[in-house]
Amino acid sequence: MRMINFSLLVQFLFSGLTMGSIYALLAVSLVIVYNVSRVICFAQGEFFVFGALMITWLTSLGLSTPIAFLLTILITSIMGAVIERAFIRPVSSSSEGTIIVMTVGISLTLMGVALLAWGREAHALLPFSKGEPLWILGACLPIQVVWIIGATVLVLVVIWFFFNKTLIGIAMRACAENRLAANLVGISVWKMNILAWAWGSGLGALAGMVVAPLLFTQYASGTMPMLKGFIAMSIGGYSVLGTVIGGFVLGVIEAYSIGLVSSQFSDAIVFTVLIAALVTRPQGVFGGLKKAGI
Amino acid sequence: MKAIKNLSWLLIILFIAIYPITLGKVYPYHISLLIIVGIYVILATGLDLLVGVTGQISLGHAGFFAIGAYTSGILSATYHISPPIALGIGLLISGIVAWVTGRSVLALKGYYLAMATLGLNVVIYTLIVGFQWLTGGATGLRDIPSFTMFNLTLKSYSQYYYMVWAFVLLVVGSCLAILKSPLGRTLIAINSDETAASTFGVNCPKYKLHIFVLSSLYASVAGSLLAHYMGFISPDDFSFFTSIRILVMVYLGGAGTIYGPAVGAIFLKLLPELTYRFHDYELLLEGLILIFVLVFVPGGLFRILIAMKNQFRNIRFAHWKR
Repeated sequence: MRMINFSLLVQFLFSGLTMGSIYALLAVSLVIVYNVSRVICFAQGEFFVFGALMITWLTSLGLSTPIAFLLTILITSIMGAVIERAFIRPVSSSSEGTIIVMTVGISLTLMGVALLAWGREAHALLPFSKGEPLWILGACLPIQVVWIIGATVLVLVVIWFFFNKTLIGIAMRACAENRLAANLVGISVWKMNILAWAWGSGLGALAGMVVAPLLFTQYASGTMPMLKGFIAMSIGGYSVLGTVIGGFVLGVIEAYSIGLVSSQFSDAIVFTVLIAALVTRPQGVFGGLKKAGI
Repeated sequence: MKAIKNLSWLLIILFIAIYPITLGKVYPYHISLLIIVGIYVILATGLDLLVGVTGQISLGHAGFFAIGAYTSGILSATYHISPPIALGIGLLISGIVAWVTGRSVLALKGYYLAMATLGLNVVIYTLIVGFQWLTGGATGLRDIPSFTMFNLTLKSYSQYYYMVWAFVLLVVGSCLAILKSPLGRTLIAINSDETAASTFGVNCPKYKLHIFVLSSLYASVAGSLLAHYMGFISPDDFSFFTSIRILVMVYLGGAGTIYGPAVGAIFLKLLPELTYRFHDYELLLEGLILIFVLVFVPGGLFRILIAMKNQFRNIRFAHWKR
């Protein structure tokens, strides 16, 4: 058995928080789409991949990173909106199974597009800024991780502001609460669905972009992060704050089970946690937060 | 009407029966393809009983497919147990796993159930990859003997073809029998409104569990058939993508009709034979076809076939009237 010392435990915590913020971002993007439009999107992993590959491509064309970043968010948001309008709305009154299969169809199509556009090779982006990694308590913290966690926190603040302080955000929350009532007071549920998909795809792409320097991304590598996003969403109880906590908890559980138990069985552990959480607390481990209106 | 139906059944069975000795002689490769198609027809119709008829979404069907395949594979390759017994033990294990997990998981509804069954699939997959000493891990399990029954080894493709399609007819027939029976009507009632069904005295959890177990048994049979046919299985055949693919077959063909998912399975398994020459466009094409069918033909491919049949009958009747 390998020596487990304190700095190693801190190192696991850091990698847990890194992956946790990615899962949190993805799960929040899933939750916004689900709460407003009642669709669980199996194409969210593809937006993640599009984010990572598109920013890599745009920067390789010579654009500066911030411009490429904003452009990618813009393009993927528009993609999400168009997909909702063109493909999800025609089946929106069908059964859940049909809608799941529809998002699978979208996922296959986007994967096919990514394959044609960027090929089968894996791509990695240069880190957002140069610099030595930080050393905290004997554990190494790459600068990109600071970017990732910073971006996550910033985005969460923006989301909080949007959904609590702006009229459109409050209207979207009204749709999430009760679609019929929202419609009756004059909110266009269809428009809110489109907006939710734009948010969802943009956030998914953002998660892909901030992690692009750490992972080698390829056209088909969106599935596992998306599944982890599902878990975070399920244990988080479909509220934004619960989901964020769920994402970080998941990342940390995963990091410690990789580090301390075995990397082969970490997925089994993580998904068993999912089933246990779903069965024992279907409203989510942190589901109480939803009642509090967060 | 009944005569027409019986006639089309007879034609289908006749076609299946004479295929290997006629067309199959010309294109031997197609026989091996049709064996795989048959295995997926079993998977899709079995899942349709749970998803289409009863309305319980499962994204973990490949998990039971894996249990069947690996139980058969390990028992016959490592412990030299005869394949029919291995198949039986696979059924038993699948049934037990489905019973134990189904009891808790089936209390969930809609997307929650989908997530939980998806989790089940990933857990089974990860355990197969992890227990390398038993399952061969990610590299797969080799040297699984072919099917032997009463000292008769199924060696050639066409012998195996007949066995698989006998199972297919058995599974499709039993699914149809269930659909037409009082049990089938109970299941449809659960699908349309669970609260109403239980108000009328239907024990919903019991029926849902029974159907969950039954559809997992079908998947387990399909797994055993695959293992003995291929002689080699690897975990990637049973990942969550396979579950998704089976669900796609169900909805592409037309959920809740039993025939539909069979058509969906045949279509989706034969499609790569047409699209493989487009290489990198394959994924895109497959996704677009799926979207197209879902948007423009909500009833699935089976609806198209029915429409064609009606068209055909109208023409014939018009001819008679004249």
